[in-house]
Amino acid sequence: MQSASSTGTQRSAKAQKFHRLLSLPTVDLAALRELLWSGAPEEDPKVRAQSWQMLLGYLPPVQDRQPSGLQKKREEYEELRRRHYLPVEAEAPSGDVDGAILRQIRLDIPRTSPGLPIFGHQRIQQLLERILFIWSLRHPASGYVQGINDLATPFVVVLLASELDCLPEEINVDAASDDTLDAVEAGAYWCLTKFLSDIQDHYTSGQPGIQQMVAKLREIVHRIDQKLYDHLEEQGLDFLQLSFRWMNCLLLREFPFPCVIRLWDTYIAEPLEGFSSFHVYVCAVFLIYWSPQLKQMDYQQLMLFMQKLPTGKWRNQEIETLLAEAFVLKSLFHSSPNHLNPR
Amino acid sequence: MSKDDDYDYLFKVVLIGDSGVGKSNLLSRFTRDEFNLESKSTIGVEFATKSITTNGKVIKAQIWDTAGQERYRAITSAYYRGAVGALLVYDISKRVTFENLERWLQELRDHADPNIVIMLVGNKGDLRHLRAVGQDEALAFAEKHGLACIETSALEATNVETAFMRLLSEIYTLMSSRQITDADSFRNAQPAMQVEPVQAAPSRNGCCP
Ligand SMILES: Nc1nc2c(ncn2[C@@H]2O[C@H](COP(=O)(O)OP(=O)(O)O)[C@@H](O)[C@H]2O)c(=O)[nH]1
Ligand SMILES: [Mg+2]
Repeated sequence: MQSASSTGTQRSAKAQKFHRLLSLPTVDLAALRELLWSGAPEEDPKVRAQSWQMLLGYLPPVQDRQPSGLQKKREEYEELRRRHYLPVEAEAPSGDVDGAILRQIRLDIPRTSPGLPIFGHQRIQQLLERILFIWSLRHPASGYVQGINDLATPFVVVLLASELDCLPEEINVDAASDDTLDAVEAGAYWCLTKFLSDIQDHYTSGQPGIQQMVAKLREIVHRIDQKLYDHLEEQGLDFLQLSFRWMNCLLLREFPFPCVIRLWDTYIAEPLEGFSSFHVYVCAVFLIYWSPQLKQMDYQQLMLFMQKLPTGKWRNQEIETLLAEAFVLKSLFHSSPNHLNPR
Repeated sequence: MSKDDDYDYLFKVVLIGDSGVGKSNLLSRFTRDEFNLESKSTIGVEFATKSITTNGKVIKAQIWDTAGQERYRAITSAYYRGAVGALLVYDISKRVTFENLERWLQELRDHADPNIVIMLVGNKGDLRHLRAVGQDEALAFAEKHGLACIETSALEATNVETAFMRLLSEIYTLMSSRQITDADSFRNAQPAMQVEPVQAAPSRNGCCP
């Protein structure tokens, strides 16, 4: 898999490559993965949405099957909505647990704002409430956990931008018909479901998936930046403390939203075993990026710095550098027999 | 970067209570005088510090803000260790957040130092028209459990400073009255708190003034 980043001047060439692939009667998923790994063209919202939906198993790769495939998925979602959400609209959530989940979701929806005004829009808030509530009922082992609201937002934005054929920051919710929003809702629900299936154990009792990732991160940093590792140890800063949110929200809280979308191009394109093992390498590279500063800080300075990393001005370029380095790091670890195996 | 060591004592304090009661905004109001209607939910724990002066001593408060959701309890409860104070927060406009207080107290009993000083905080005092928890009820609850209590509004910046100041001074008073053999223990991140069980102190400055 290539990890070379693209530059602005190649954009249209990049879009062309995607178009060529996506217009074949049967899309070659391996080739699509490879292409998406290096990022979808920013100027072409439909390409990104199609690629994401296809690699997440929502949009069939065989052109002829796409209309019927989508139709079926949309009907399935409609059915879930009738079964699970209708009682809510009738103000009668079934049982205490569902009521508590709904309360939590309703608390978090006004607090879900990845920097885009559309999440203040009532239609989007309702759409998000349904997606999260239904997902929660369908995944009772974890149920809704704070942070999953954040993870739903890239899907809503990418799909909506595609439906309205505009850039994410240009989305006008009032211009969307009910049918458009229903299509976005169903698509976002299925994409989120598939995406989260890789990290289900992040959100079950005790959050074992997160604990494992943190342990792995500690190992990697220990091996490649012993000085930083020792310094963090000395200051008593636990890896769980510094990286919990990175794992729980997949770095979504750490970057400007456009960078998150770019990051997720690669996560969604990661090969079959899923993105979760790669994510830890990205986190390791991201942590080590700050190593010179971190090594000068005491415990409290570290805590405050890590909570609000100065990434506000980051662009895709910085993300692509991270990804390229993480790719190299992962290959190194996997090829060397002395190194630990993932999981 | 310089290390700001210009304090006499370091007190670790935790903010606990149901999700959405306003813990994060109480913290940002106290430490940075900021309020945010759309602040993001807290994932895991967050942290801020502020130094205050009481009885001529500079006290640095290291305040841990925790996520309220049940699922995070395993992660957040680890942070109670070493805390000498807790603000136990409910929302005066949401009855259920008051009803859950017993469970939060249990959390503290299970995971915190038995001598931790706890202050009950009824936040969102500005939502008078939506009040669902009476001041008398809160007072009764506080008396029953030997807690000080106060109503605040992070939005209007009412009593926020007072709540933290009272908690910190109370910790200081208890600590100095107790002839701590090793006052230095308060200077590290996990101070060994050795104070008497907390007395009920609600009446004078009163709950809910
Ligand atoms: N009216 C009012 N709203 C508040 C107050 N404090 C917090 N809020 C709002 O309540 C919501 C949850 O606050 P937050 O601090 O995130 O709660 P936390 O989950 O306990 O940390 C946010 O929308 C806040 O803006 C307050 O004193 N009055
Ligand atoms: Mg909070």
